[in-house]
Amino acid sequence: MRTSHSFQPFAPRARRAVVAIVLTFALASAVGTALTIWKTGPSKGQAAVVEVASRQRTLAERYVEELLLVRAGAVASPAQTGSLLTRSVAAQLTGGEAPPVNGDDDSTRLPRQDDPSLRAQLLEEQRLVHDLTLAGRAFLAGAPVEAVSLTGHERLGPLTPTQRLRVLAALTSNVSLDIARTVANRADRNIATLTRLQVGLGIGGLVVSLLLAWALVAATRRQTAHFQSLVNSSTDLVLVLSDGGCRYASGSVTTIVGQPEANLLRDGFLQFVHDDDREVVENARRTGQPQTIVFRLRSHAGEWRHLEAHLTDLRHDRHVRGVVLNARDITERFRLEQELTRQAQRDTFGTQLVEALEMADEEETTLGVVERAMTEISSVAPTELLLSDSSRAHLERAAVSPTAGAPACPVESPFSCVAVRRGNPVVFESSEALNACPKLRDRTGGPCSAVCVPVSFMGRSLGVLHATGPEGRPPDPQQIAQLTTLATQAGARIGTVRAFEKTQLQASTDGLTGLNNRRTLETHLRALIRDRAQFALAIADLDHFKQLNDKHGHEAGDRALRSFAQTVQRGLRDGDLIARWGGEEFVIVMPGADAQGAVAVLERVREALARAHHGGHPVFTASFGVADTTHAATLEQLLQVADTGLYISKDAGRDRITIGEASALPRGLDPTGAGDEPGVRPARSRPAFHDAVSDEDHEVSIRLA
Amino acid sequence: MQLRSQTVGRSLSGFRAAGGIALACIGLVATSCGGVARAVPPGTVVQVSQRDFAISVSPKRVPAGQIVLRVRNHGPDRHELIVVRTGSVLTGSAPLPMRTDGMTVDEEGLQPATVGVLEPGPTGSVRELQVRLAPGRYELICNMAGHFLGGMHTVIDVH
Repeated sequence: MRTSHSFQPFAPRARRAVVAIVLTFALASAVGTALTIWKTGPSKGQAAVVEVASRQRTLAERYVEELLLVRAGAVASPAQTGSLLTRSVAAQLTGGEAPPVNGDDDSTRLPRQDDPSLRAQLLEEQRLVHDLTLAGRAFLAGAPVEAVSLTGHERLGPLTPTQRLRVLAALTSNVSLDIARTVANRADRNIATLTRLQVGLGIGGLVVSLLLAWALVAATRRQTAHFQSLVNSSTDLVLVLSDGGCRYASGSVTTIVGQPEANLLRDGFLQFVHDDDREVVENARRTGQPQTIVFRLRSHAGEWRHLEAHLTDLRHDRHVRGVVLNARDITERFRLEQELTRQAQRDTFGTQLVEALEMADEEETTLGVVERAMTEISSVAPTELLLSDSSRAHLERAAVSPTAGAPACPVESPFSCVAVRRGNPVVFESSEALNACPKLRDRTGGPCSAVCVPVSFMGRSLGVLHATGPEGRPPDPQQIAQLTTLATQAGARIGTVRAFEKTQLQASTDGLTGLNNRRTLETHLRALIRDRAQFALAIADLDHFKQLNDKHGHEAGDRALRSFAQTVQRGLRDGDLIARWGGEEFVIVMPGADAQGAVAVLERVREALARAHHGGHPVFTASFGVADTTHAATLEQLLQVADTGLYISKDAGRDRITIGEASALPRGLDPTGAGDEPGVRPARSRPAFHDAVSDEDHEVSIRLA
Repeated sequence: MQLRSQTVGRSLSGFRAAGGIALACIGLVATSCGGVARAVPPGTVVQVSQRDFAISVSPKRVPAGQIVLRVRNHGPDRHELIVVRTGSVLTGSAPLPMRTDGMTVDEEGLQPATVGVLEPGPTGSVRELQVRLAPGRYELICNMAGHFLGGMHTVIDVH
């Protein structure tokens, strides 16, 4: 009754029914036994009564015979026989010992007779025996037998003494026979009554037991039905698997599968399990292991439901004889987990993509990252990135999936692309559909599906990311999401890189001459000094530039500056650098050269400059001051040394090259440790240098061509 | 036997003792079966009373025709009833002829004169014997051993 603990409402009824059945049987048995005792009790010892009654018959006959024998002179003892008759009938009536009869039997114990009719018969017999023995004694004594008064209601007619004796004996005998018959009949009746009572009792007991059993069955049914309802209404799925296959499937299983239980029993259930999961389920059925399994079940709608089942091995429980699977439909949870995983993958992809793109500082490397990302999204879907050129009128193929190649969209102009026009990703299920992009039709690979994601930066279209797939099966939502991420991030990066490159170019060059600007050169110079490299440095200044501007206009001044820059660049060696330092000043750096070498190079430049002045350009010259790393240790000192050279060149009449003097450096700044030398023009600070080169005092000599 | 005998009103002790449904059913069947023969018997009713060892009738004279002998045995022993026409060619006015045992009437010899027989019945039983009696004298006897000679005989006159 283990279940009664968990199922109180009906258990007491069942228990009561069982107790009532047992009690009914016990009662029926007890009543049956009592009836048997009651009914058979009076018949106990009645065999002796019958025996004595039949003996009385013989004794009565014998008594008369013995009387006649004695009268005839033979030896007989009628008195003894008469005594036996009298004592026997007394014993029959009151109970006790019936005397033994020689040659017949021993003394017999008789019960007392209480039955009124039998007692009446015995009393009658006693009276007849009395009459018989009295008549017998009269007969032996020779007295008149008819004179003996009769007590047994017999009315004897005119008979001879012998006849009288014989009639009395016959009556005694007949009454004795009747007594035996009465006893036997009474026993018969008792047995018949007992049989009827027992049958009645049996039927009654049977009916009551059947009613109680019916109640028990009803209670059990209710109990079973209750459990059945609990199991069936539960969302949990219960299955019992045994060697013969499925032995039980709860209502929730049949509801999911949409089949009656009969179709799931034995091998039926496995038909609905996913092919890949059958082995798992079979193994669980065989071994009862592991504790938890997950498998897929085909629902009536044809979709796969994911079930998580906990196993209970009850193969040795004779009530179950199988492995019980308590399963729960975890499809929604499974999908959510999948979605979360996908989201995490997307996030990971996005994070990795951003990191990779951050490391790409040029458009070229950015496109490399884009190509690798294409493979990451799908190694089989042809993918390409089309970017507009600087004119923003043409789309060019900038990146192609390294593994799957390009889908080769024939679109030429950004505004011919529907995705670019819309500014949103576009998915085409089939290139053959009415609303498909016309650019998808007639591709070499035949009909296809496609995704087109616009690439833009700061609201300006850069191009389109395009991927294709088999017809009717475009890239899945996850891939579309990843493609969108790629388009967004790549657009942002390409836009940034392009803007950066442009800004960088602008920042590092001089807008007028196209030469490096002062800051760029300073960066180079500091790097050289840091590396303790040997180099020569020259400061160039256009002679009488202010006058040139004033006389011929700024346009002519600018042309002169550009012309000077081009001439110097042509004359320099590979690796030499020139930068516009400001105004009409230029600084030239010659790595590896000393001051003398620099002078030689600059001489050629100066000559080239003289030759270049033709074609209507105002002729101009330039003065140079040179220093090298032997003159000073810092950039500032080096510039000061070169500046002194320039000063000397200007002072000496311009259009010449002079090596500066380290001795001109102020005290404490001399790298050689030499002190100030008198007579030497003191070095100026950089602003002074600027002032000097643009000094109004300088004489201007301009020769017009 | 050309004469119908039946037992009526047997002891109801069996019914009293039977408490069970089954017995009630059996009793019901028995009662309904007996119901067919319980039609009121036509003819003159003669009360016949038997006891150890005498037979008495009332009335002693009845008209000829259908006669119902209602025989009650007061006991204490079993008794039978044989109705024999006397004063006929066979019996004449002489006493009934006896068998050679000297104890019982010669039933076989009296067969042609016998008009009705009731087999031995137990104490307390009431039975009916229907006979069609022509005018004459009839002797009613119990022929169990010694009973006739012990006094169990009487006569009834039919006129």
